[in-house]
Amino acid sequence: MGRQLAFVLALWKTNLLSAMEYRVAFLTQVFGMMLNNALYFVFWIIFFARFEEINGWNLVDMLFLFGVVATGFGAGTYLFGNAVRLSSLIASGQMDYYLSLPRPVLLHALASRSNASSAGDFTYGLISFGAAIYFSGSFGSLMLLRFTLGCLASIAVLISFLVLVQSLTFWIGNTSLLTRHAFNAIVTFSLYPITLFDGTAKLLLFTLIPAAFIGALPAEFVRRFDLLQLAQICAGGAVFLLLAVYVFYRGLRRYESGSAIQVRM
Amino acid sequence: MRSKEAGALTGVGRVREHSAAAVAGKYWAVFRTQLLNSLAYPLDLLGRSLLIVLFMWIFMNLWRVTYGATGESSIAGLTLADTMWYLMMAEAVMLSKHDLSETFSEQVKDGSVAYLLNKPFNFILYHFAAGLGDSLLAFGGNLLVGSAVVWLMVGPPPGLTGWIFAGAAVVLSWLLDFCFSALIGLSAFVVEETNAFRWIYQKFLLLLGGVLIPIDFFPAWLQTISLNLPFAWIIYGPARLFVDPSLARLGHVFLQQCIWLAVVGGIVWVIYRRVVARLVINGG
Repeated sequence: MGRQLAFVLALWKTNLLSAMEYRVAFLTQVFGMMLNNALYFVFWIIFFARFEEINGWNLVDMLFLFGVVATGFGAGTYLFGNAVRLSSLIASGQMDYYLSLPRPVLLHALASRSNASSAGDFTYGLISFGAAIYFSGSFGSLMLLRFTLGCLASIAVLISFLVLVQSLTFWIGNTSLLTRHAFNAIVTFSLYPITLFDGTAKLLLFTLIPAAFIGALPAEFVRRFDLLQLAQICAGGAVFLLLAVYVFYRGLRRYESGSAIQVRM
Repeated sequence: MRSKEAGALTGVGRVREHSAAAVAGKYWAVFRTQLLNSLAYPLDLLGRSLLIVLFMWIFMNLWRVTYGATGESSIAGLTLADTMWYLMMAEAVMLSKHDLSETFSEQVKDGSVAYLLNKPFNFILYHFAAGLGDSLLAFGGNLLVGSAVVWLMVGPPPGLTGWIFAGAAVVLSWLLDFCFSALIGLSAFVVEETNAFRWIYQKFLLLLGGVLIPIDFFPAWLQTISLNLPFAWIIYGPARLFVDPSLARLGHVFLQQCIWLAVVGGIVWVIYRRVVARLVINGG
């Protein structure tokens, strides 16, 4: 366990050093993404300026939601950058490299790349959380702990979901379109108040497209402690993580290398 | 007199006339090839259109709850059905527009722009013709799927006039959007990374263009700002025409689109001429 942790830390350090070689491009993407997220949030400012509340959700709830989702999404896709392009690695035979080394294949593949723009999401998430605290007027060390826990659960479900969907590449070949739709669906749904959706839709958001575990549920938990919600987010994270690892390694048995010559830069 | 004679002797005028037809034919061929290329994969086309189902479903939930909470049948002159049909058209335009800025900047960064620049066509017009072919089919797919979903949710669409007026305005929308894409893509000649510009432009379209929420729902000051910017005339103009078609509105949308096309198109042209003149290609 300690060896694997040291290995992943070394990968993250290498990714960071690599990004720092192109410092201006890195910073442009970070600040660009922060501005991009802020502009998107303006929609909710306009919306709640006119309608005040929808099904019990107001602007402060949205700040908490964006705080958790952006921090979780940013940290997840920064630390495990290949989670968004796993299907192309599998389809183009680029898993050969990871298979030939004595390290856990999935962990190695996911952590081998970092997205610069994700650092912008992460930073924006923290700012949104800070704004949520300011406007709600409630803060304590326990809230910070709940926020950390909520974000970790959010990362676990997001990365697991992306791995699950893209592992289908082992069985059905090209899943680029499915991956794109699944990615759009999980991100979009996680950024809307859960109270908009009724019975069947809610069931979907806890199972097939587990956006509730990425956004609404951890965001509500951050606002106020609830033992049931704590159990739900921990169980959600653990179940999706185990499922993703199981499905990926089952699929990996079907992996066929094209013996293509790959150049890694 | 001298130049006229020279023209008559060398047939310059005739050659130019022939060239204009040849130029149009050339880009028509590019457009047609892209159209046929996309038509060769109908399932892919349908698959791409599924995203609009997701957005319409979310919007339906959001606006049904919102209209229910206000207790009014109409907000800023739009009923729930009007809002949903407006959003369907706005999303159809947004999802079918071909984002060329990424292609542009990739070609600049990897140097393949050199290969395209020495071909007997204009780099900008070539991309526009190819993008239009792709957008047209994607728009058709999105309209088909989006209309089916919204019809099931809120009832029948607006009349035929709305379809015709909005359809005409959408062509100019694509042209205007293309100019912005070209500007972002050409910025790759100057800056290393253009992703940030692309994201921000898309968010301007989502927000100030009226994709996420009709501009009519904005506070008055923000409406004024939005309607004086080009983004509204890429999305809001055609979508609003769709649910509320009138000759006066059509004229106003066309006028705004033409003004902005002249401004942004002019900037693209000047920048393109400058960067191409300054381009240095090494190697072979």
